[in-house]
Amino acid sequence: MNRLSSQQRKFAYLAGILVLLVPIILLGMPSDGRPGSGGYLAQLRSEYDLGESDLGQVDPSSASMNLVLLGLRGVAANLLWMDLEYYKDRKDWAQMRATTESIIRLQPHYAKVWEYNGWNLAFNTSAEWDAVPDRYYWVKEGGKFLARGVERNNDATNLYYHAGRIHQQKVGQSDEKKYFREYYFADPDPKFGGTNDPEFNTDNIDNFLMGKKWFYAANDSELRRKQNIQDRTIFRSSPARAQFDYAAARQEDGKFDDETREAWAEALSDWTVKYGQEVFTIPWDNGQVDIRMEMTPEEIRQATTSEADAAKLARAVDAYQKMTNYRYWRTRGLSEAEQVTSDAHREFYLAGEEYKQQNLNAALKLVSSSMEKFEQVLKKYPELRDEDRMVEECMLAVMLFENIHRLNGERLPDEFPLKDLADEKGGLREQIEDQFKRRFLAG
Amino acid sequence: MSTSGSAAEPVIEIRNLTKVYRDFWGRRKVRAVNSLSLDVKKGEVFGLLGPNGSGKTTTIKMLLGLLFPTEGEISILGRPATDVAKNERIGYLPEESYLYRFLTAEETLDFYGRLFDMPASVRKERTEKLLSLVKITHARKRQLKEYSKGMTRRIGLAQALINDPDLVLLDEPTSGLDPLGNRDMKDLILQLKEQGKTVLMCSHLLADVQDVCDRIAILYGGELKVLGRVDELLKSRDETQILTSKLSDDAINEVRAVLQKHGASLNQIDHPTSNLEDLFLKTVQESVERPGHRVIMDDTTRSRGA
Amino acid sequence: MDFEPTPYNIPLGFLYWLIVTGFGTIVVLVVTLLALLITRGTKGFGDFLNLLSSAALDIVQISPRRVGAITRLTFLEAIRRRALLVFVVFAILFMFAGWFLSGGTLVPDFQVKLYVSFVLRAIAWLVLPVALLLSCWGIPEDIKQRSLHTVVTKPVRRLEVVLGRMLGFGLINTLVLLVMAVAGYVWLQQQIDEKARPELTCRRPVFGQLTFLDREGKPAATGINVGDIWEYRSYIEGATRARAIWKFAGIDESALNKDGELILENRFSAFRSHKGQMGRSLLYQLVFVNPETGLRVGTQLRQVAEFRGRTDAIPRTLPKAGEAIGGKITEEAGETVDLINDLVSPSGELVVEAVCIDPGQYMGMARPDLFIRTPDGSFLAGYAKSILGLAMMVLLIVFLGVAASTFLKGPVATLLTFCLVLVGMTAREFMMTIVSGRFEGGGPIESVYRIVLHMNPTQELPTGIAFQSMHLMDLAIRQFVWLIFQIIPNFDYFNMAPYLANGFDVSFNASVLPSIAVTLAFFLPCLLLGYFCLRVRELEAK
Repeated sequence: MNRLSSQQRKFAYLAGILVLLVPIILLGMPSDGRPGSGGYLAQLRSEYDLGESDLGQVDPSSASMNLVLLGLRGVAANLLWMDLEYYKDRKDWAQMRATTESIIRLQPHYAKVWEYNGWNLAFNTSAEWDAVPDRYYWVKEGGKFLARGVERNNDATNLYYHAGRIHQQKVGQSDEKKYFREYYFADPDPKFGGTNDPEFNTDNIDNFLMGKKWFYAANDSELRRKQNIQDRTIFRSSPARAQFDYAAARQEDGKFDDETREAWAEALSDWTVKYGQEVFTIPWDNGQVDIRMEMTPEEIRQATTSEADAAKLARAVDAYQKMTNYRYWRTRGLSEAEQVTSDAHREFYLAGEEYKQQNLNAALKLVSSSMEKFEQVLKKYPELRDEDRMVEECMLAVMLFENIHRLNGERLPDEFPLKDLADEKGGLREQIEDQFKRRFLAG
Repeated sequence: MSTSGSAAEPVIEIRNLTKVYRDFWGRRKVRAVNSLSLDVKKGEVFGLLGPNGSGKTTTIKMLLGLLFPTEGEISILGRPATDVAKNERIGYLPEESYLYRFLTAEETLDFYGRLFDMPASVRKERTEKLLSLVKITHARKRQLKEYSKGMTRRIGLAQALINDPDLVLLDEPTSGLDPLGNRDMKDLILQLKEQGKTVLMCSHLLADVQDVCDRIAILYGGELKVLGRVDELLKSRDETQILTSKLSDDAINEVRAVLQKHGASLNQIDHPTSNLEDLFLKTVQESVERPGHRVIMDDTTRSRGA
Repeated sequence: MDFEPTPYNIPLGFLYWLIVTGFGTIVVLVVTLLALLITRGTKGFGDFLNLLSSAALDIVQISPRRVGAITRLTFLEAIRRRALLVFVVFAILFMFAGWFLSGGTLVPDFQVKLYVSFVLRAIAWLVLPVALLLSCWGIPEDIKQRSLHTVVTKPVRRLEVVLGRMLGFGLINTLVLLVMAVAGYVWLQQQIDEKARPELTCRRPVFGQLTFLDREGKPAATGINVGDIWEYRSYIEGATRARAIWKFAGIDESALNKDGELILENRFSAFRSHKGQMGRSLLYQLVFVNPETGLRVGTQLRQVAEFRGRTDAIPRTLPKAGEAIGGKITEEAGETVDLINDLVSPSGELVVEAVCIDPGQYMGMARPDLFIRTPDGSFLAGYAKSILGLAMMVLLIVFLGVAASTFLKGPVATLLTFCLVLVGMTAREFMMTIVSGRFEGGGPIESVYRIVLHMNPTQELPTGIAFQSMHLMDLAIRQFVWLIFQIIPNFDYFNMAPYLANGFDVSFNASVLPSIAVTLAFFLPCLLLGYFCLRVRELEAK
């Protein structure tokens, strides 16, 4: 080295730098947006959809946070998660909420983080509060949070689904559903002036329909990227299931109009046409085969070459139908589309209203009529005898019937409609008793 | 031999001073000063000479209590070196002016004045006086970071004199000064001497030392090699130099004859260039050839050891 | 307020301080003496005495003017060099704070809570690096640049150098803190919604003593645990004889507000074991009891406002109502009682019992959960106290930093001080468990042994000399940690955000006083340590 002059040395360094630059450029050159452009890493990134902009909206603040943390993002996120747990244990919801925000600044493209925190807000935190409007506030927080998560991560199929669940399940099926469903249109927060919170109920529609919308989005996304929540066949049934929930909820609210009937009709078509005709690929021998839920024996024969294969495929379709409860929901849809079912529901609902007004005779008349109609429905669709919601409603009707007799000081007749069902499901009585009290005895 | 030196009381007494630098593990690394003994007397200008690394600055720092001696004693103005109270009467100009570069000249002097616990009025008066003495009145409001090296030296000297000290320690006082500044500095040192102050300076710029010092000590490798009055040291004992006007060859032959008569020989006829630089170089050379050799032409300092 | 302010015991704290400081001083002196004896032989003893006497002299001869000069120098240095940069960072942080706080949708009391703690935390964390860097780099830089040479060759005592540096850095940091505080205050006033404004206040609570009755009506120290990890609140069961009983002392008419009402505020929490009535919160009743006459008067039933707290204004003249039985209150028609005359005992005691009305449901409370709310102080006053707390913290950091920088180089001193601060802020609880020895798996060595052998913490260890010595070593380590624990300052005292963020005035006894005491306690040892180190070291930068 000593033999080289200072200038020669400088040139040697420069050459060294250039040589070292070559692999760096080859590896790390950023892409200009066109496919195939950029260095090796950039190509890999676009191949696996790992670029920030491939994932969804880029949040400038989280990008700058990462810069500020100089590679200590993991450590910082770890500390924040510890904080989150601490605040949760200490019930310091304000700080917990703020920490959630900080965490997603650091991990904006980590779908599980969105999922966990959305769930934590809508379910855990909400349940900690005593007042129902407060609970609703946190359910909304969870829902909005997941919606933001989807914006940042367009392909996170799970997130769409979980967002849908908050609208469908948390709002529509929790203990507080009576209040939550009201609040869904008339938010308790005075700042919305008695209307919906446009960030949560964005379309100002029923929560189940909103859930359905999210589930459809989840299904769309599922075509691009797999979900890992449940079997595909079940996963893709969720929009139709939400439509069923919507129709049932209308009945529970005492709405027996055309809209309800249309809701049932739509549920039936969602189930049998949209979902029932959807093609699922299932494992078959050593390969795969396509099936549909709504597959006729004829179609099964066409899809196979031998009698034996046809029988085997039929068993497979049957197994999938069982797994997804396909036939039950189809029956439910069919039955609810009938006038007699609708009347049965309506008469039972009205009986309850009369009962609450102490009009025992009117109530008795209505409930007896509804029981007869339920009996007709059950005769036509015996599968419904094992469906919880139907059984519950029938049992409630029976209990109302019995109760009116008791109050009137009359003996229960030896035979009455639904008696066999009541005897068969006697074990459920205690459980349904509570619901009965809440529905008919409390103000 | 000495006119004023021996009678005056010593301002600095150094006895057997040794400094060993150790490394991190406590192992001996360098013996920077070795068994140094010397006195500096009141009212004299004393020069410490030596090549780089000879232990001059280490000695000064030990005098000031910045470094602690490994062995030996120091008495400065009658007090131990670590006694802060002695600083009341000392002025110190460090090797490079280690001043706060964000202060202005005025603030600098005011700051050091405060360190002497001077009341505001005294500080103001001294500041004015010193600023004009070192000729930087025009730049009084400028921060030192804008100063040239020469100006920094001047303000350094000014701060050393803020307390009107009895003893002034100057470490390389003329380094970085232009010839004019050099002259000023030397004048100032002589001025200080006139005022009866004691000055200890160390330098490797020999001409400066020769011009202003009464006595010098030459250090080499941490050891004292030469100590004495400048004029006497420059007088060679077994040589006599005769300086005449231009002589003819005959005259030279005559002189040669006269010398022969007295048993002396004429070694060299030359133009006299002998000065401190020669002495210095000779001392350094001798130290390498004859380690342990020492020339002490001073009766006030007892020299012990080899 | 979700914590119990414990008043600071000044005499006890002082005693501890004396013990630890005295012990530390003795250790330092003994080590110095030994070092001198070893290096200098018998002469070392004389040197030691010299050192002591000159140190005493230095302390006595401190000159305010010299200290002032160093302080002023330090201040000028910081101003003219770099400290101002931090304001820029601060401004940017506040500008973008909206990113970190999703404020708009938050309920009002959350907004105040978040913003106030954000501002105080931001100020603390921003002033921390300034304090650390300035104080830890000052003296080492001074030594490295050799500018200190010029200073210490003047008649300045090194004690004065350390003191001046401490004061100077303290001053500049306090100034930085003040500017930040003003910016933070303005920011708060601007950011917080009109609706949330009333929460920017300083409640001045009068707390009582809390005891419990269990469901059978027998006295108990606490209620029951409903399974919370956080054991702060304990619960009473509804529609039983369980009661939470607060005893307030020194109550007279002055406790009433100008409308003659007693303002009782509570932070009860609710726990449902069954759904119960969804449409409303759990109900509670407050029952006033005169401890002398035994007169019991119940208030109306009210709903718990969980995590928000609610304020009940109790009029001075109350209908003479009884306690709720089966959710109904019996009222003696037309009769009234006087709150002060009939319900407060002559010695000024007032007893308030809280009853949970709903059967099968539980109501939780801790001591600070029910208090008499006297007129609020201004938010600004509480804010100022919080800033005072931060100022104390900054001063402490400066003291520690300057002391560390007298014997360490800048980066190392910064690291050391930062570690002290970090440990003092976060790890005291952990150290406490180590010191107490109450943790699974034994001391450090035992733990290592168990980990290596995959041994369950509950498994008995074999006996034998080896294990006895292992336990002894663990004990020694524990004692060592105890010592460290005593030396590491408790930074909790400086954090007054929990008061202010929850709308409470900062407690003087539990927070302001100890914060000042802690800083003062560290001042002298730091100063002496710094002086000692600067005194015994050579100022040559190597």
